[in-house]
Amino acid sequence: MSIISSFLDTMAALARESGFAGFMADGGWKNIVMILISFVFMYLAIARGFEPLLLLPISFGMLLTNLPYADLYHPDFWNYQTVGDNSHYIDYGNILQHGGLLDILYMGVKLQIYPPLIFLGIGAMTDFGPLIASPRSFLMGAAAQGGIFFTFVGAAILGMSAAECGSIAIIGGADGPTSIYVSSKLLTDKSTIGVGTIALAAYTYMALVPIIQPPIMKALTTKKERSVVMGQLRPVSKTEKLIFPVLVTIIISLMVPSAAPLVGMLMFGNLLKESGCCDRLVKTAQNELMNIITIFLGVTVGATTQADKIMNLQFAEVMGLGVVAFSIGTACGVLLGKLMYIVSGKTINPLIGSAGVSAVPMAARVSQKVGQEEVPTNYLLMHAMGPNVAGVIGSAVAAGVLLAIVK
Amino acid sequence: MGNFLSSFITTATIDPNKKDLNAGTVSSVVITGIVVVFIALILLIVCVSIYGAIFNAAAKKKAAKAEAEKKAAELAKAKTVLPVPKVEAVPAIEDGIEEETVAVIMAAIAAMSASAGKKLVLKSVKTSRPQRSAWSSAGIAENTRPF
Repeated sequence: MSIISSFLDTMAALARESGFAGFMADGGWKNIVMILISFVFMYLAIARGFEPLLLLPISFGMLLTNLPYADLYHPDFWNYQTVGDNSHYIDYGNILQHGGLLDILYMGVKLQIYPPLIFLGIGAMTDFGPLIASPRSFLMGAAAQGGIFFTFVGAAILGMSAAECGSIAIIGGADGPTSIYVSSKLLTDKSTIGVGTIALAAYTYMALVPIIQPPIMKALTTKKERSVVMGQLRPVSKTEKLIFPVLVTIIISLMVPSAAPLVGMLMFGNLLKESGCCDRLVKTAQNELMNIITIFLGVTVGATTQADKIMNLQFAEVMGLGVVAFSIGTACGVLLGKLMYIVSGKTINPLIGSAGVSAVPMAARVSQKVGQEEVPTNYLLMHAMGPNVAGVIGSAVAAGVLLAIVK
Repeated sequence: MGNFLSSFITTATIDPNKKDLNAGTVSSVVITGIVVVFIALILLIVCVSIYGAIFNAAAKKKAAKAEAEKKAAELAKAKTVLPVPKVEAVPAIEDGIEEETVAVIMAAIAAMSASAGKKLVLKSVKTSRPQRSAWSSAGIAENTRPF
């Protein structure tokens, strides 16, 4: 008889400690809702192909972190403490000793390691040739960053803190790693939104570029402007391509030092590619390293999407302001494109301006597609790649500016 | 420039947790942000344009020099060698083959020979006859099909 009662006691204890009991506990229902939300993002990634390489790891991280008692991620470990005159102290020793798997991996996000390494891979895959051949594209890449700063105003009007305003605004840069880089550096434990929320909004809208951009592009341009056929770009020599990354690194890092990690790694990756003598390193940066970091970044950023950071009004505000940021960025790029159309004597198609929001190469493809709807033989892709890659540099500079101001 | 900008930025730092930002602070962020992004990228435009122009001019100069050397060499050759009337070999074209087909073949040969650094001449064009009948080809295909 005693055997049976001890068996029942053990089973009862196991049931109390199981995750199922956690769902029944106070606030456990929130975890269930979060797990259901993670299923929605998994569906979007797998069935709809929304940036699956990032959205799938993010959604799975979201699932893992909301399993009660799994202890994979502890948000309280990441609260800032004040030690001496440092108000942003995090006890990494404690995290290494007591943290879960996702806590350990999240250190790469919090210490700003992953986003610059992703930029290394992006640099190793990017051809800056169209930008070097047509340097005026930089202007459109700069204009499209207007979305970032105008959205800062919108977030401030909604009464958000400076860190939240900066983190939401950077979504307008349409650059996932930059958004994660800025938000992980700015957001504090007092913020009502998390890095995961920003990443979810950024990647969702990046996947929606082909839906969000064309109506704005068409509304702001006339049929005549969209029909401008652009000639071929001049060929760019290897030496020019070699000088470019070194030059950009020096100029941008001296002007906005806080942008140096992103721009520096982007340009380092590009120099490796253009040098032609480091094939093995280039292949690793483009493939293995990039893929490993993408997995780490995605799953840990997903882990920060805890119920209390998602199921609040701020999440809806982030999603709302995110699409505003994106739309204003696109509009600013197109409007500068229109200005350049007039100044250049109607030789520039303003549609390439919208590619100034980063989202490489999707935004450039959208310019190409909308252009071809008017003139089927018009190939704007290479012309749009100029503002597109300029947008990557521009959003890194904008990120540096935000980090320099909000601290 | 760098010092000027960094002093401009650091004078307007905002605490991350500060809420209800006033209009002055927000507009200073917007203006600083847009101005710095534009200055940085315009500076890059200037630098890239300058070195682009230098390299473009150098490339054009090189191309012009190469062209001049080529012309000079041709002229010298023309002076030393007596002009021999060149007889163009006309390829023997079988009846029934269209001129367009011959043009395509010649273009393909020219493209390949140019990349290989040789000059090939098309001597004749004739239709090839199948060595096996369709039935025997089908039989061979059937017997040699991988299993």
